[in-house]
Amino acid sequence: MIRTPLWAALLFAASASAATVGQPAPALAGTDAGGAAVKLADLRGRVVYLDFWASWCAPCLQALPHYQSLARELEPRGLTVIGVNLDRDRALADRALKRTGASFPVVFDPAGRWAQAFALPAMPTSYVIDRSGTIRHVQSGFRAGDEAAIRAAIEAALKETP
Amino acid sequence: MKPLAAPLLAALLLAGCAAPVKPWQRELLARPEMALEGDALAAAQRKQTEFSKEGSSGDTALAGGGCGCN
Repeated sequence: MIRTPLWAALLFAASASAATVGQPAPALAGTDAGGAAVKLADLRGRVVYLDFWASWCAPCLQALPHYQSLARELEPRGLTVIGVNLDRDRALADRALKRTGASFPVVFDPAGRWAQAFALPAMPTSYVIDRSGTIRHVQSGFRAGDEAAIRAAIEAALKETP
Repeated sequence: MKPLAAPLLAALLLAGCAAPVKPWQRELLARPEMALEGDALAAAQRKQTEFSKEGSSGDTALAGGGCGCN
């Protein structure tokens, strides 16, 4: 019978579970603006801050400069900041990057493939992924003052040895 | 199997109609022209006029009205 797998597929589609603390980060790959490969699996051994953002999301744009300074400051200690842009219009994304001064690698995901894999609960959502590839902190939304909690989660992950 | 195929196909195809918009798909909905109230000040003035003039019918859950001073 063909019915069972079809209904199972429907049910599965309806209940794609969100990536949460303690789970391994989905193994995704893409390319950044310069065409360089970005593979989460290749970043084992480093702490990854993965930020999902879009130009139409005001708090996302508010957060980008903070992430830029985190990237600059903590990169030597083992942090890699990666943005995932969800704009369908690439020009809008490029303009937002220019305006916010963010220069960390950004993967362009207009189809929402990465967003689907992580099942984002909100926009923006960011993930602290530790050196072993496990999600350690989920930052859902962004308000001024959230920087401290984000920094604390990153610092805690940086202190661990791989 | 065969009589079930058509409704099953319809259910599969129409599943997209009922699926809620995901947070990362709100691009067009986030545009200013998609706001229910485009201009907050104009909306407040319109509301003031509305509940003053239509207060007698209990609009916005307040009885009375008419002078626009509440």
